[in-house]
Amino acid sequence: MRRLIENRFGLLALVLVALGALYGVAFVSRPAPAAQVRPQAVRAPVESVTAVCPAPSGSRVSVVTPAQDQRNPGQQDQKPGSATLSAIRTPEEKAGGNDDVIDRPGLLWQREIAVGGGPLVVDATGAMAAGLESAQTARETSGTQRGLAGVRCVEPGAESWFVGPGPAAAEMTLYLANPDAAPANVSFMVYSGEGPVLSERGNGVVVKPGQHRVIRLRDLAPSPLIMALQVSTRSGRVAAAVKAVLGEGRGVDWLPVAAAPATRVVVPGIPGTAGQRELYVAAPGERDTVVRIKAVLEDGSYALKNKETIEVPAGSAASLDLSTGIGGQPAALVLESDVPIVAGLKITGTGARQDVAYTAGAASVDLGSVVADGRAEGKQTSWLVLSAPFGAAVAEVQLVPSKGAAPAPVEVKVPAARTKELRLTPPKGSKGGFSVVVRPMPGSGPVYGGRVLDEGVKDGRLLTAQPLAMARTWALVPPTVDEPGAVLP
Amino acid sequence: MHSVTAIVVAHDGARWLKETLAAVLRQARPLDRVVGVDNGSRDGSGALLTEAFGPGNVLALPRSTGFGEAVHEVLRRLPPAPGEEWVWLLHDDCVPDAHALQALLWAAEQDPKAAILGPKLRDWLDRRVLLEMGVTVSRSGRRDTGLEPREYDQGQHDGIADVLSVSTAGMLIRRDVWDELSGLDTALPLFRDDLDLCWRARTAGHRVLNVSDAVAWHAEASARRRRRIATSEEHPRRLDRRNGLFVLMANLPFGALVRSVLRNVFGSVLRALLFLLAKQPANALDELAALGSVIGHPMRLRRARKARKQGRKQGWPAIRRKLTPPGAAFRRLADMVQGFLAGAGPVDSAGRHHAAADRAQEDDGDELLTDSGGVQRVFSSPGVALFLILTVITLVAERTLLPGLLSSDGHLGGGALVPVTGGASDLWRLYVEDHHAAGLGSQTWAPPYVAVLAGLSAVALGKTWLAVAVVLLGCVPLAGISAYAATKRMISYAPARVWLAATYALLPVATGVVAGGRLGTAIVIVLLPVYAALATRVMAGSRRAAWGLGLLLTVGTAFVPLAYVLVAILGGLAAVSFGGIRRGVRRSLVIGLGTPVVLLFPWLVQIAREPGRILLESGLHESGLHVGRLTTPRLAADSLLMLSPGGPGVPPVWATAGLIAVALAALLLRRHQMIVAIGWGVMLFGLLVAIVVSRVDDAAWPGVPLAFAATGLLVAAGHQAHRIAEFRASGGLRRLGAMLIVVVAFATPLAAAALWVTRGADDPLRSDLSDPVPVLAELQSEPGEGTLLLRPKDGTVGYTLMRGRGPLIGESDLTPPRETTERFTTAVAGLASGRGSTYVQTLAASGVRFVTVPGSVDPALRRALDSQPALVRVSLSETGGLWRVAGQVTVPPPPATAGGLHRGWLWAQGGLLVLVLILASPGARTKEPDVDYADAPVEEGPRGRRRAKENKGRKDRVPA
Repeated sequence: MRRLIENRFGLLALVLVALGALYGVAFVSRPAPAAQVRPQAVRAPVESVTAVCPAPSGSRVSVVTPAQDQRNPGQQDQKPGSATLSAIRTPEEKAGGNDDVIDRPGLLWQREIAVGGGPLVVDATGAMAAGLESAQTARETSGTQRGLAGVRCVEPGAESWFVGPGPAAAEMTLYLANPDAAPANVSFMVYSGEGPVLSERGNGVVVKPGQHRVIRLRDLAPSPLIMALQVSTRSGRVAAAVKAVLGEGRGVDWLPVAAAPATRVVVPGIPGTAGQRELYVAAPGERDTVVRIKAVLEDGSYALKNKETIEVPAGSAASLDLSTGIGGQPAALVLESDVPIVAGLKITGTGARQDVAYTAGAASVDLGSVVADGRAEGKQTSWLVLSAPFGAAVAEVQLVPSKGAAPAPVEVKVPAARTKELRLTPPKGSKGGFSVVVRPMPGSGPVYGGRVLDEGVKDGRLLTAQPLAMARTWALVPPTVDEPGAVLP
Repeated sequence: MHSVTAIVVAHDGARWLKETLAAVLRQARPLDRVVGVDNGSRDGSGALLTEAFGPGNVLALPRSTGFGEAVHEVLRRLPPAPGEEWVWLLHDDCVPDAHALQALLWAAEQDPKAAILGPKLRDWLDRRVLLEMGVTVSRSGRRDTGLEPREYDQGQHDGIADVLSVSTAGMLIRRDVWDELSGLDTALPLFRDDLDLCWRARTAGHRVLNVSDAVAWHAEASARRRRRIATSEEHPRRLDRRNGLFVLMANLPFGALVRSVLRNVFGSVLRALLFLLAKQPANALDELAALGSVIGHPMRLRRARKARKQGRKQGWPAIRRKLTPPGAAFRRLADMVQGFLAGAGPVDSAGRHHAAADRAQEDDGDELLTDSGGVQRVFSSPGVALFLILTVITLVAERTLLPGLLSSDGHLGGGALVPVTGGASDLWRLYVEDHHAAGLGSQTWAPPYVAVLAGLSAVALGKTWLAVAVVLLGCVPLAGISAYAATKRMISYAPARVWLAATYALLPVATGVVAGGRLGTAIVIVLLPVYAALATRVMAGSRRAAWGLGLLLTVGTAFVPLAYVLVAILGGLAAVSFGGIRRGVRRSLVIGLGTPVVLLFPWLVQIAREPGRILLESGLHESGLHVGRLTTPRLAADSLLMLSPGGPGVPPVWATAGLIAVALAALLLRRHQMIVAIGWGVMLFGLLVAIVVSRVDDAAWPGVPLAFAATGLLVAAGHQAHRIAEFRASGGLRRLGAMLIVVVAFATPLAAAALWVTRGADDPLRSDLSDPVPVLAELQSEPGEGTLLLRPKDGTVGYTLMRGRGPLIGESDLTPPRETTERFTTAVAGLASGRGSTYVQTLAASGVRFVTVPGSVDPALRRALDSQPALVRVSLSETGGLWRVAGQVTVPPPPATAGGLHRGWLWAQGGLLVLVLILASPGARTKEPDVDYADAPVEEGPRGRRRAKENKGRKDRVPA
């Protein structure tokens, strides 16, 4: 050994051999590239839901919580719960004795609300919360309010968008309600066809806990013919809804809440009935944009001739008549833009006296969707329009009646870039309304859709529409870890 | 007419006596009478006296006779001479100049009141060094010559001076005065008898003069312990101190005496403490014993005072003027501190004769020989130049970090470093508190590196960010200067040291440390060269180096436990290989390796329970999915071999190719193969550990083992570098080869510096981080209320709970109880999912008042938080969102803790630390040289050689 070290080449050789051996060890022990398994968010049933029906007076309120999904065992340990319907009240007010309590999931609860009174708050916990959906639908056959006007009861939130006609074209009313314990500092922003409208009267309002406000948008911005309305809170939460009354014989409906500004917006749930279709797009940002329009129809997906694009100046709204493109066809629209946009669509019925319905940009219903109100009485028809703009989709559609056992679910296949319209027919013998549960099957592409309710009356067709919203059945519980490094970006 | 009797008292002084006697007999003013006294010498001094003065003039006395006694004995037997008789007292080690007596007598004639006269005393060995020109005493009994230590005589003090006292060596005293004062006090057989006599003479109205024209050379053999003292069994130091106190207290008037007693009790205790700190327990004991001996015999003192009663009070004002002024004590303290910094013994034994406090010459570098000014000397040192260059490189590379650092609202953080907030006191509280309220609350003891950081922050005026910035951002120049200084004893060729230090400082590990915010490794790479230097001294048998190594290893281990493992394995191997060469090396190694274990014991037990933590260092670690931002998982084999630890901030692998090539070339040289082999052995060992570390845990960073490996390589290459100069001198092909090697060698640091500057030192380290707790949350939180920070990243939501302030360094290593964490994590997950329920209430019960999401908030998370009725959104913008819990928030009360064990351990740890600090700090250079009593002119053994070298060095220093 000593001689080896003292020999200069011996030492060099020794070191080189050792280095080679270490290289070999390091090379061999290098682990194979393992595909990182991302921790998946766990689906968990929602445990409490609060929703506000903005103006149920004279309307039928439907509340439903679909029965437990047998495919998901995680729901079994769900605590029993109940849903309470009560008039909105401040935290100090005692619970009234005449609150309706619903504690049976899997059955639709419906009730006609007497005229008068403010918003209704639906509070659900436990098993009744997972998937709770509620809606109010009014039906008038005469007067300015003639038509079917339905709206999904919304959860209070920090920001809502509405896209539709402006106060100059219709009587627009904003309903605000704050069922929380903290005051909501609400501000509005109206984007008209000429740009953002700055109201000199100030565009904010404070809604105290338990309070509700009804605001005529004409007071805020009298001139816009089309508009996108942003209702946001600087603090607190508010439930917002907008009703558009076009006038005697011209229809009435609520504007559904539109998806928040995004560069790709899908406007689903356009029914196959005849009539006008008018698209509203707004770009609330600071850049002009050209929005590319693609229609997803029953026979394919393509850009509409001469209506491939719509130019939207920065901070303003624009509209485009699509009646000749998608009129009479069940459809969804895919709008793409370089800057975030919001979009909505007006559906006009036919007849001497028209009724309108609105749909708006919506998210895909990955975790399923529930529509509370469906009708198939007399001349009323319920349609479900499902679209799969980005990949073939398979969904399970189930009706939930107000009495008796639910019929077996139906599997609906929507090929990629197609739209399918289903007529919802309740099982024989069931009375009254029903709810619709749509659950995409595992492996399905994103599903967008809407439910349309129409009724042929003698002087014109009554219409209301509601884009499918993600059901509040599931919440995705993200993997969560106590990590001191979270303080670093 | 004068008559002068010279009395030479000899005691084992044959070494000097011959010269002394010759000088006495050669006086220009012949002596009237000469008397020799032999106090029982055993070295033939008696014979020398007899030979010189004749048998009739020599008196033989017993061995225990003191100087004063001997003189008394002579004068008792000697009949008075006619005329004015003078007695000239001479020691056997005191050589008067031929004209000394003449000058003294002349001075005596000038001043009729002069009764005692002394010559100017110079050193025996170095004959130009002044020893005394009259002596005074301070109020604390300290002998004071008023001269600088080792002051050369250039005539600067010349003249006839009225002084408090003169030494008995060469003292000329009028015999009638002697008789009047009854001479030297025989109770003081040695030391301070002269002071006592002169004090009494002055009190009696006589004058004491020092005559600079009279010169004598004095060896101070007794004071310097060149001979054994037979008159007393006590150590000369204690004797000197005791006599000093005694003389002072015997001669002071009463008021001054009381003050003096108080002053001396206080001063002695203080001095004893200082001695203890300086690891001179013998000195401390002597100090206290001397004081005790004076105060403990009040009768003796009273008798002495009684004998000196006459005229004491009247003479006092005149005496007081001659005492050392009070300011001198401070000057001495300053000198002492200066001496301590210079590496000399920190406390100079009070009252010693100057030459006895001789500075050891060993450590003074050759630099001191140059006459150039201090500034020029500092800047022309290659080490300082290297440091400055590395600093400039570092500043340029860190150009993006500096603005944020200097602005008030930016926080340094990123990578493994939490945004640095808080100060030294916060860190200190974190270290000592039993229950940590921070985060979810924890009872675990804070890791020891928190204490180190608290200390560093305290040095940086309590600013933790400054301490962290200096250590972390400055680790490159610090590592450079550390490597340069540490190789001083290993490598003598300065260019090689510069290359070595520059290469070491710019290793991929070092740049990776800065970018990754790895404070722990930053400290270890600065300390690593010091470990190497200390380890070589431990191998040479130095015990103090062993304590120092233990202390610094403790610091390194506290930050990076792996450093201990590496040093311990190398130390064990060294002990097996070289332990037999020197006595005590094994024990020193045990000290060096055992100190960290003892000082960090409870924490090491924790580490041992979770062996995976050995591979990790202080600071934040990545876990699970996020691995890959701070380390490179699946680090390639060639990266490891090229000393690149992966992770952010490391240069491409080829940057270190030059270093490897040069180190391989060093293997081919014939001489000093052993050191090259050892260096490569360390390299291979470090590499092996690095491979193991990087393969076992993806979150572990093999920086420290690769720094070890690089150190081995650098020593192997640097040690052979002086051969370059030889090759260059030999010309031809060899010269070309040498040039090539130099180019290749310097390619590594230059390339590393260029790449570093190009890339920049930041990312993920940043200096512009905002405080993780939003200002609004900080302002509106009650004490104890927390802010929950959520950060969704790669599909997971990371969270951390902060109580009113951002997390401190070290808080990330605290582990809250498992069930608390699980409960809280479930609640946070529920909150982030937006599924409703009472999760917010659960959080509120843990004291969460605010929920903050920094950065642009993920829409899903924003929806989830907005959907919580109990959360009120306070703000939302591109820079983050803040929600406030609307309802009742209860801050959980701290649990009752039994902190006795922790407290006890902290005290024990502090005590042990102080002990190790004392043992490791420079103190008394060697043990008391007891063996030198005989002081044979030629000594055997290493100590003698060293002394010879010292003396030679001192001679060398005489200016021409």
